[in-house]
Amino acid sequence: MIVNGVAIDDTFAEAFGMRATRLLITALNLKWAYHAARTMTGFATSVIGCGCEAGIERELSVEETPDGRPGLSVLLFAVSGKELAKQVERRVGQCVLTAPTSAVFAGLEGEAVNLGKNLRFFGDGFQMSKVIGGKRYWRIPVMDGEFLCEETTGMIKAVGGGNFLVLARGQAEALGACEAAIEAMSRLRGVIMPFPGGVVRSGSKVGSKYKALPASTNHAFCPTLRGAVNSELPPEAGAVLEIVIDGLTQADVHDAMRTGIEAVCKVGAGGGILRVSAGNYGGKLGQFHFKLREIMQ
Amino acid sequence: MTALTLTLRAPPPRSVDLSALIPERLAGMNAVQIGALPLCDGLDVADLFDVDGGDARHLVIRNSCDRLTHIGSAMRSGTITVEGDCGAYAGLGLNGASLDIGGNAGAFAGSGMKAGAIRIGGNAGDFAGGALAGDRQGMRGGILAIHGDAGDRTGERMRRGLLLVGGNAGAYCGANMLAGTIYVAGKVGMMPGFSLKRGTLLLARMPDPLPVTFQDSGEHALLFLTLLEKQLQRDRDAFARFLPFGANVRRYCGDLAWGGTGEILVFC
Repeated sequence: MIVNGVAIDDTFAEAFGMRATRLLITALNLKWAYHAARTMTGFATSVIGCGCEAGIERELSVEETPDGRPGLSVLLFAVSGKELAKQVERRVGQCVLTAPTSAVFAGLEGEAVNLGKNLRFFGDGFQMSKVIGGKRYWRIPVMDGEFLCEETTGMIKAVGGGNFLVLARGQAEALGACEAAIEAMSRLRGVIMPFPGGVVRSGSKVGSKYKALPASTNHAFCPTLRGAVNSELPPEAGAVLEIVIDGLTQADVHDAMRTGIEAVCKVGAGGGILRVSAGNYGGKLGQFHFKLREIMQ
Repeated sequence: MTALTLTLRAPPPRSVDLSALIPERLAGMNAVQIGALPLCDGLDVADLFDVDGGDARHLVIRNSCDRLTHIGSAMRSGTITVEGDCGAYAGLGLNGASLDIGGNAGAFAGSGMKAGAIRIGGNAGDFAGGALAGDRQGMRGGILAIHGDAGDRTGERMRRGLLLVGGNAGAYCGANMLAGTIYVAGKVGMMPGFSLKRGTLLLARMPDPLPVTFQDSGEHALLFLTLLEKQLQRDRDAFARFLPFGANVRRYCGDLAWGGTGEILVFC
């Protein structure tokens, strides 16, 4: 399959079942909502080393937020419900509670995960609970007034690790196409691209020659190793970048991959793009397989 | 489908407990069976009411008066509409249903209610949402909306839920309150929040005098009030009497004789 001169490999992205939640972060203005959300979703690129994968899903208008203030929705993904609960509590406690004027609310219905349930103890006995509309909220006194947070958020089963690889003649061409893809994908709901700017240059494979490491560089796609290893790259490929997608549903990941690959193909061979491929582990590890050619049909 | 209607022929000579007449108990019964239900002192339903059969999920009591007590007591589902006044203990222990009283209600309306909604179009007697003698807690959830005035000790020992008073409230409003929220759109009588342990007494007007065991915490914009207002706006027809109320309040923490973890909030 060739789209606008870009070859679509006959391969698939292998994704995994994860647990996810959505949080709604509001503040006095969007600037401070962003401060809270960016801090909370920082160092959350990969479950391998960060405990969770997280990102800002979209901006919320004042009509969409529970408290009528500007806000953002963020998504968090983890490999288990227990780990997700740990990450939510730690990140909200350190990054949202601490951000001036912020408040945080559940953005999903599902199995309950503690949000303010334990954070309330920061109130040292001065915290107050309010049940409004069947939901419990905690009012925690802080130095700029009160931090308002919902007691729990909802956790659902989700999909993590959808991906595609962009093979280009050079770094600039690969990065430009990925930026176009991220711009298009960021308009979609229910997905995040957790790596810096949504793009990752250090794609990994399972295992390493060093026994202590669970993952190591994806040598088959490293252009400087062409000739030394069994490379997946054609001679003209100078750089490969990857976009990883976590989504609340399989359909969300599917749609995001299609949107991203379409944007890459729009740049096309004329823009230095050679191929689109995907990362997988032979289909034995992940329960979700996203076949590139089926997605692009 | 039409509602099941009970029309009171004449006020009974003494109080009559109607706790047996709730939608879930009347479901599947015809008018004759309902008419034969015993009430008290040898009286059956048919001795007092004209029964017009219909869907028991909505029970209408017409020509009601203050001698009909315990209307909607422990009701779990359905709706009761009361056309006229009702006696004491209306909605006692209500748990998830809806009770709509067009006129006035007697004492202990909504006492011990756990969930659901009670609307009182007129005034409520003493202890609305409060605790029965010997009970440790009053209202434990749901919404009790009194469009007129409320008597003394409104919301006494209230544990959870929202109690709205569109008019004035009597003395000792929110006394011994454990948690929950009481809003009074008019004036409150003496000693509001007496022995308040937790919970919020939300007042449109400054109490005169403010009990000495409440101390000024200054003016604040509290977000939870925005959530509360938005919640009420979702059913604007029912709660228009109490809206809008904004988020800017002066906070008085107290009752400091009881730890000071409750509050009286007065709208700025």
